[in-house]
Amino acid sequence: MNRREALQRTALALGYAVTGPALIGMLNGCKAAPELNYTPQFFTPEQALLIAELAEVLVPKTDTPGAKDAGVPAFIDGILKEVYPQADKDRFTKGLTDFDEEAKKTYGEPFATCSTDEKIALVKKHHEDALSKSSGGGSVGWWRAGSDGGKPFILEMKELTLLGFFTSQAGATQVLQYNQVPGPYKGCVPLAEVGKAWAT
Amino acid sequence: MNLNIEAQKQNTYDAIVVGTGISGGWAAKELTEKGLKTLVLERGRDVKHQVDYPTMTKDPWQLPHGNKLTEEELKFYPVQSRTYWVNQANKHWWVNDLENPYTEVKPFDWIRGYHAGGRSLMWGKQTYRLSDLDFESNAKDGVGIDWPIRYKDLAPWYDYVESYIGVSGQAEGIPHLPDGKFLPPMELNCVEEVFRDKLSEKFGRKLTIGRVAHLTAPLPHDPSRGVCQSRNMCDRGCPYGAYFSSNASTLPAAMKTGNMTLRPHSIVHSVIYDEQKRKAIGVRVLDANTKEEIEFFAKVIFLNASALGSTFVLLNSISSSHPQGLGNNSGHLGHYLMDHQYRTGAEADVEGFEDKYYIGRRPNGIYIPRFRNIGNDKRTDYIRGFGYQGGASRESWARGVAEMSFGADLKKSLENPGPWKIGITGFGECLPYYENKVTINADKKDIYGLPTLNIDAEWKENEKAMRKDMKESAAEMLEGAGFKNVRTYDVADNMGLGIHEMGTARMGKDQKTSVLNKWNQVHDAPNVFVTDGACMTSSACQNPSLTYMALTARAADYAVSELKKGNLK
Repeated sequence: MNRREALQRTALALGYAVTGPALIGMLNGCKAAPELNYTPQFFTPEQALLIAELAEVLVPKTDTPGAKDAGVPAFIDGILKEVYPQADKDRFTKGLTDFDEEAKKTYGEPFATCSTDEKIALVKKHHEDALSKSSGGGSVGWWRAGSDGGKPFILEMKELTLLGFFTSQAGATQVLQYNQVPGPYKGCVPLAEVGKAWAT
Repeated sequence: MNLNIEAQKQNTYDAIVVGTGISGGWAAKELTEKGLKTLVLERGRDVKHQVDYPTMTKDPWQLPHGNKLTEEELKFYPVQSRTYWVNQANKHWWVNDLENPYTEVKPFDWIRGYHAGGRSLMWGKQTYRLSDLDFESNAKDGVGIDWPIRYKDLAPWYDYVESYIGVSGQAEGIPHLPDGKFLPPMELNCVEEVFRDKLSEKFGRKLTIGRVAHLTAPLPHDPSRGVCQSRNMCDRGCPYGAYFSSNASTLPAAMKTGNMTLRPHSIVHSVIYDEQKRKAIGVRVLDANTKEEIEFFAKVIFLNASALGSTFVLLNSISSSHPQGLGNNSGHLGHYLMDHQYRTGAEADVEGFEDKYYIGRRPNGIYIPRFRNIGNDKRTDYIRGFGYQGGASRESWARGVAEMSFGADLKKSLENPGPWKIGITGFGECLPYYENKVTINADKKDIYGLPTLNIDAEWKENEKAMRKDMKESAAEMLEGAGFKNVRTYDVADNMGLGIHEMGTARMGKDQKTSVLNKWNQVHDAPNVFVTDGACMTSSACQNPSLTYMALTARAADYAVSELKKGNLK
């Protein structure tokens, strides 16, 4: 089974018709074509690729695992499918589509297949714009995020990525530190003795 | 006829306890340890310590969706989810609101857990004594009715309960927040220590580590319970039994006596009143599984079904002698519903201490005892007062959303703990008002066909004036202590959200104006005791569970001694 067949089978299994330009775009992407390491339940394959690549830009693999290693794309797919009410699903999907349209307009191809520099530039533009509009750069809220309809796509995506990443085993234990059973609380310890931030 | 007598004999015990939460567990333990064959009726399923805590050792990545409920799951919890606290790790401890309806005449959040252990599995564990400032307050202020007891009546029972459950805390010598039998206190962190010192220096006010029902040292009398490991996953059930719950402590103790029969899925909907004998003789149970009606009989009945649960049972116990419900000859049953108001206060940034951190997730915070309307600190705009709970901590990775960086830079910066923040939220007393009440709604039935409750209660002027001060004083203290960028908040809350609902079957000296006497006996049916939150004559501002437990142990002791004297037949 070649890649084209694999994609089509996945698409059929999910009930999506991936044909024509979209499929060609995925197959022929100018750069190394990104691949999904999970089967999306909510996103279309194109949307899922964007989410995965965008999550990886927000939290990339460095000397420690990145968003894709940590399973963040599947996490976001699950949240969209199971947790988000329909209105939030629609709003998020529209944000995603608009974001991708801008990538196509600016760079001539979908975000997922843009070069790393192009991806970072586009994220930077959206991210700076969104934060400058949030009230004084202060907290933009966490748990209520996405429920009021007022959140720019890029920040909602950043929230979901950080949540998925730092509640993952890789994020919690390899980037931060985690101990389920810390033992009696010690209230005032030199940071140097503790090391990195606690995941929770 | 013979068959009926045989059935009645089989279903007869020395005592019946209705409910297994924080007070029901205590009633079960005390009555069984004193030798009474006791039937303990729980409306929900059984929950065995450790065995039935499905999420107790799950790591964050083992919980779906970052611990958030799915949209489908959330549909079961339209009321419970108002706490913003129902999640994947604890969802099995909250009632299904669709199956357990009530009517909010005014908005009221009725937060419940229907299973063995009840809310003792999910409680906040904050454990404070009331004092004579509280017991005398109604009489002094001319509000409501006087408590029929004083601190000296309850003090030995506070000692008794604290010694058994294990309470960690710091003795402070504060007259209106009496010290207890404390295990070693948990530690304050570096910033909280500074706040404590500044509060003392600038305001002459105390700050102490929260007094909590967590073991910070082993309990010699109960080696099955272990010391707190600072997991702060308490609401899932603790594998160490480090915090007090009925499941980890009182129910196993009752079971060990061999005198307890615990019957789950047993919904008690009324007390049986025998018109010939002129007394309560048992309870009627609807078996939640079989829908069968069963009667159980006993000499002594303890109602510990939670404040509104026990009041429902009494209101629903209609007989020709008690057409308005058992205990309602006064007409006061169901009235004077109270709660604690909170979710208002302030938070601030803390400069410095970047080189300091902590180890462990302390399931506790700081406590600032009440200072208003004590001594010379008199308010003209409201009576009574409030305490503060809160704490300082360093910001987590969640701060990253609002940071200007992303990618490798953000990832690197989040490896370090964020800046320190500090916050306090007030817990304010609520006065007893006749108009704040619950009544039976015969028109709206639950899934078992039982009538439901109408809840009609609201905060009034005294609470509103106090609330304003709760917010402003929080900011004043944080600012006075030198913290920066102080922000107040007031997340307007419905009554009920304090999850300290109480009153509705209050204790009093006069049976014309109260439901219970000073031993928690129903005036009209002295072999029926109500020792949960329903009995409270005023609310004070302290977390109330310890007081329910102490009142229960005291009432059980009295009940057994009265039985032995032949005064309860």
